[in-house]
Amino acid sequence: MTESTVTSLQEAPVSTAVLGRRGMERLDLLLLTVESLDFNGGEAMLWATQQLGFETLFPNRVELWKRRCHNPLRRSTRRGRLGTAETEALIRLLCAMADRLYPMLHQLLSSREPSDLSKQRWALVDQRLSDLIAERFNLRRGAVQRLLSTDHSASIQRQLVLTLALAAGPGGVDRLRASLLDPTP
Amino acid sequence: MTSMLKLSYRYDQTAARLEVDGLPDFSSGHGESVIGILSAWRLQLVGAPELEGKRDHLEALMAVVFPYARHQISGVSRPEGWSHHPVSIRPVDGLHQLELTSSQPDVPPLTIQLDDADLADLLRCLDALRSDVRVSISWPEVVNHPLSRRELVERVPLGRRLAAPVFGGVALAVVGVMAMVIPLPTQEIKAPSDSIESPSPDSVSDPSQADPSR
Repeated sequence: MTESTVTSLQEAPVSTAVLGRRGMERLDLLLLTVESLDFNGGEAMLWATQQLGFETLFPNRVELWKRRCHNPLRRSTRRGRLGTAETEALIRLLCAMADRLYPMLHQLLSSREPSDLSKQRWALVDQRLSDLIAERFNLRRGAVQRLLSTDHSASIQRQLVLTLALAAGPGGVDRLRASLLDPTP
Repeated sequence: MTSMLKLSYRYDQTAARLEVDGLPDFSSGHGESVIGILSAWRLQLVGAPELEGKRDHLEALMAVVFPYARHQISGVSRPEGWSHHPVSIRPVDGLHQLELTSSQPDVPPLTIQLDDADLADLLRCLDALRSDVRVSISWPEVVNHPLSRRELVERVPLGRRLAAPVFGGVALAVVGVMAMVIPLPTQEIKAPSDSIESPSPDSVSDPSQADPSR
């Protein structure tokens, strides 16, 4: 993550967005995708929160985890909606992490990469993301079963990676926030 | 003198490179290193000829790429600027087809196929240009709104969208036909004479009269 990106993320106007149930599910799933792409994703997120000036909101890993537990698909879910400040902080954190991982996202999405190599990379992402979902999400939920099903997982994972790629960078915060506020179809 | 003041900035990504040339606008109080007047831009996309133009063309490119990316991030593929616009983009076979129409006559439109990574690179170049403090140009505002429910519904395949209402309609029709075909159970209807209760000889019509059984 470059210094200019961090500065631009901090200077952007703060929104008063409150995410609905579906928005929170997507936000947490995108953060989980970041973790599946980065072995030290948990540590990197904590470091990024300090770089972005969110250490008061997320002073440690547990506080970050507690906010993410507002996702209703989690095994141990928390009731109520996430506050506006925490929501905005999580969105900015995700965009910063996507910016940091952008070269990897580009490799995954590029059609110019050798197809064998690309398949192996996607297989690794699939395995890590499925493991994380199975570990942290409630497997009795239909939406979670759909995430893990072989029929749907590939297209869902590609959309998650594309979302991260388009949300990375200075302009990504606004795009991602608007997308997370989409109504449930 | 003008050539000495000419400024050029570059925004690089793996598959895209955007360069802008311009001059500082001293009348607006800009510094020497700030572009206030954009004179030219060039865009290099891997596997495509170099694009160049004036500020209007760059704004036209932004006007279609930003809304298109906004829809893509929500999983909706919607064409942007397809008619009466110098630049357009639309989804074609899992790729993104950028089409640029020249303002000069007899020049055929240029078509460029972008994959998801190319689109993300182009978007990042444009984002970087807009947020660059060294380029002080009032770009058209980009407003990102949540999509409407109708736009989101369209990303669901037609078969899946119609499955529930079709199933409901068929179920209703089947129940209706069965209701017409299956006869109703017959009920015994009592004769009208039975329904009139005959007065009992023991009944007391007037409570004030004495009971004869006593």
